[in-house]
Amino acid sequence: MSLFARNSLIALLIAGAITGTVAYAINYLNSARIAELSAIEDKLSIDTLSLETQFSLIAASPCDSVASTTTFTGELSDLGSRLAYTENQLGTNNDKVMRLKEQYSLLEIRDYLLTKQLAATCGTKPVTVLYFYSNKGDCADCDKAGYALSYLRTTYPALRVYSFDYNLDLGALKTLIVLTKLNGSLPAFVINGKRSYGFTSLDDLEQQFPKGALATSSANKSN
Amino acid sequence: MGSEILTYPFIFLALYFESFLLVTYLSKPARERRNAPTTTNLSGTPQVAIVVSVWNEETTIKGTIESLLALEYPQDKLSLILVNDGSTDGTPAVIDRFAAHPQITALHEQHAGKFAAMNAGIEYAKDAELIGFLDADSLVAPDALKEIVAAFADRDIDAVTASMSIHKPRTMLQRMQYAEYTLSITLRHAFASINSLYVTPGPFSFYRQSVFTRLGLFKHAYLAEDMEMAMRMQRAGMRIGNAIRARVYTKGPPTFRKLLKQRVRWTTGFLRNVLFDYRDLIGSRKNAALGLLVLPLGIMAIGSGIFLFIYYVTQVVQHGLHMITLVQAVPLSYTFSWHPLTWFYVPITMTTLLGTTLMLSVLAWMMIGKHISKTPGKLALNVVVYALLYGVITPIWLMYSVSNVALGTRTTWR
Repeated sequence: MSLFARNSLIALLIAGAITGTVAYAINYLNSARIAELSAIEDKLSIDTLSLETQFSLIAASPCDSVASTTTFTGELSDLGSRLAYTENQLGTNNDKVMRLKEQYSLLEIRDYLLTKQLAATCGTKPVTVLYFYSNKGDCADCDKAGYALSYLRTTYPALRVYSFDYNLDLGALKTLIVLTKLNGSLPAFVINGKRSYGFTSLDDLEQQFPKGALATSSANKSN
Repeated sequence: MGSEILTYPFIFLALYFESFLLVTYLSKPARERRNAPTTTNLSGTPQVAIVVSVWNEETTIKGTIESLLALEYPQDKLSLILVNDGSTDGTPAVIDRFAAHPQITALHEQHAGKFAAMNAGIEYAKDAELIGFLDADSLVAPDALKEIVAAFADRDIDAVTASMSIHKPRTMLQRMQYAEYTLSITLRHAFASINSLYVTPGPFSFYRQSVFTRLGLFKHAYLAEDMEMAMRMQRAGMRIGNAIRARVYTKGPPTFRKLLKQRVRWTTGFLRNVLFDYRDLIGSRKNAALGLLVLPLGIMAIGSGIFLFIYYVTQVVQHGLHMITLVQAVPLSYTFSWHPLTWFYVPITMTTLLGTTLMLSVLAWMMIGKHISKTPGKLALNVVVYALLYGVITPIWLMYSVSNVALGTRTTWR
């Protein structure tokens, strides 16, 4: 074998080994990301179940649970951000990510229902936003709307924003969409039960909130 | 992932090239050449002539001549032939000041181009066994010729190249070139060991007299006479070596316009010579390293450089516009507020990781090139400038060159 042929073969093996090692490292990292997402979801799932159980057990004074649900919503929001990042990295065809996304959506719906239940029982006035988006390229303003909601959620921590992928094939989500009577136009918002569509500006979005709702949310922040 | 996958073949090719370079650098022929002793006993050394073709280089020619006169080589064995290629500035006067020196022959020719001036010098070097060339904007280290002559100890070697570096880099572009040249030192050293050099650069390349008697003199060759001669030698089955410790310092173009001019001349010269006149070298099994690897990868590097540049510019513009629309949706204070980062959000992808690996290997080759050639100067700052500028500037002359070749636009010297 000539020196050139030998060098070429060894170089191919080295390049292949480096590429393989990097591919393995990336795969390992992505698996770690999914494992972390899964762990957060498991924890939130237990927290939800715990809250629901707590709510049933202490029927006489269920309102003690309110504080802990606020923390819970924050964690849910963090999970949503991580999930969106992972989906962006691994693509919308990744089965594991889609499975986690379905579980996340279920957790959101359960937290939304719990919040409504607490509001009815304890007389709290939470501001809830159901936000429906699509990442199939058919919603030009969804990214802007999502970013604006992230800003509002950061600025007003008591605001409860629940984001849903409109195209997710999940029975509970489809039921929620039917119950909220959305017409399919995206982005769509349901703010304390009131529907609105499209995103033009942050000011316009804030106009959709009940009068004083954001101020109340801000006040909750300082409490 | 998305469109990122389009970059994978190019990155893999670059990785393969780097791996090939590593294996070749570590192989026995390269090791032997690195460790070969320098000629210490100069008695019985060959007769050497050095031709300096000059065209309007009044500011640099004096230093070039003085550095040649300071070469550690027996005076009776070394002659310098200064060929004024019809300069219109003060160059003739500078040359004439040295004309009385016993080692120097000064020739004043009509302006006919660098190749013609070099050929005029060769005609005056009939008694020399080795004929070297030096551009009039370059300086040589005192021991450079000893190193070159030592490389000719191998009777199979027909030409020897030196290790070039940028002389006292000042501007950002010169600093970028300094780093680039240190990388080229390693490349030239490694590829010389498998006889796959396709250029014998103007600064301090030497040939046996027999090369010119067998193959003829220099040609216009699309203003890339040094590439053409090297390719002619490769086609004839001759060997081109490298003396890695033979240091020559050249003045890098200080401005973008001058650099662009130089690089377009080099790149169009390469493309035209390879694609038009020496196409048979591509894929040639006679010299497999050159025909199956170096030349095809050289052409692919031009294509991939342009593709990756367009790809990344498109990505940056797309993401930039997207970010602008996002940022406009909320107060600026939110966008620039501190968002705590965890490992989860670190953007590690195949491209970023392999790209980092490639950049680190390039840095390692630069350090190795500088170390084994004993090239003076500080690499650190220049590497930073190289990392920032090279990927942005190179595609400009690549696109310009490809366009010139495709449209048949004539390249000019300056």
